[in-house]
Amino acid sequence: MNLTLIEWVWLDASETMTLDELSRCCDMDTDDLQELVEYSALVPLQPATQPPAFSAEWVTPLRTAGKLRSDFDLDLFSVALLLGHLNRIETLERQVKSLQALVPAHFA
Amino acid sequence: MQYKDYYATLDLPRDASLDQIKKAYRKLARQTHPDVSKAADAEARFKEAAEAYATLKDPEKRAAYDALGRPQVGEEFVPPPQWRHEHAADATAFDDLDLADFLAAMGRNHRGAAHGPVATPGRDYENTVSLHLEDAHRGTTLNLDLADAGGTRTLEVTIPPGTREGQKLRLRGRGGKGRNGGPDGDIYLHITLAPHAVFRADHHDLYFDLALAPWEATLGAEIEVATLDGPVLLTVPAGTRAGRKLRLRGRGLAQGKGGHGDLYALVHIDVAATPSEPERALYLELSRISHFNPRPHTRPTAHTAKETP
Repeated sequence: MNLTLIEWVWLDASETMTLDELSRCCDMDTDDLQELVEYSALVPLQPATQPPAFSAEWVTPLRTAGKLRSDFDLDLFSVALLLGHLNRIETLERQVKSLQALVPAHFA
Repeated sequence: MQYKDYYATLDLPRDASLDQIKKAYRKLARQTHPDVSKAADAEARFKEAAEAYATLKDPEKRAAYDALGRPQVGEEFVPPPQWRHEHAADATAFDDLDLADFLAAMGRNHRGAAHGPVATPGRDYENTVSLHLEDAHRGTTLNLDLADAGGTRTLEVTIPPGTREGQKLRLRGRGGKGRNGGPDGDIYLHITLAPHAVFRADHHDLYFDLALAPWEATLGAEIEVATLDGPVLLTVPAGTRAGRKLRLRGRGLAQGKGGHGDLYALVHIDVAATPSEPERALYLELSRISHFNPRPHTRPTAHTAKETP
């Protein structure tokens, strides 16, 4: 039998990433990511620590923001604003899901 | 190689300024982006616009494109000799390239990797998979069909027990093959849970509706309820009111590192729509002797209008 080892990781708070890993996952330059950190749009786990480490939760919004940047030719500051809104949408969607679980089926 | 009229794609004159090009592209992108437009041809139109914009916004690529003159759209033409020189690294695949490939590679070469093989990362794939609650609880194996240049391939992915709604998984190096030493792409899986007939999930906790008869809620009862691991007996305490949550500790979804979430029964009290005569008699008797007032803060007055739902 031909077995293939597949390396996978959950993209959640349990996993951390370096700036280089994040750059590769999101197809964004490390300089751009540094600038997003300066705008406080991308936040390292412990800001004072070098090299900075990031929660793997950043991968999905950064990939989405990066794709929209490319599709609409956005500048980096717009990407910073976009990231804030994407994270807010994600948080609100989670809250809606949690509340939906509490709504009895005959009310839904 | 077929000619494409990028100016016509963006509805621009050939002497359009960079500002005009950018504005025309953004307007078209806003109309045709697949996240916005539901039109069947939106994605194709968006890709055409993006391809045109990638060339026209770059002065060097635009100059090279303009130097082709104005062949008819779709007309075959022979690329200038210097384009073949630019593509020395890809000479073997020269005949397979189209206009967009040439112009895109022209940008890459001029950015520093001149006249050598350009390391290109493999394509990433993004897939959303919908899991049954039982599969998320116990773990499962998925077969992912991935379409790439070499055809369709199937990848078997093991999903561990304890997966929950909204989790994202990265399968490193399992996407498209990189070229010229570029890394292989990744696969990103977005997990959603399919609606379940009984349970609703919130993280690792599960909720279900528990209907009680008035006497079960008043006197208490032992009721068999379903869980993902088989039925259990739930003790309903006497005096259970509608809206109360009864918790079955550790009967929710499995968690990744051992342990389980909780299972909650959301109580509502139901009544028979058409009670039998003996039932009706007992309810009448109950209403006569009971001092229970479910609406202690609202007392009807003489002026309260009577309405029938």
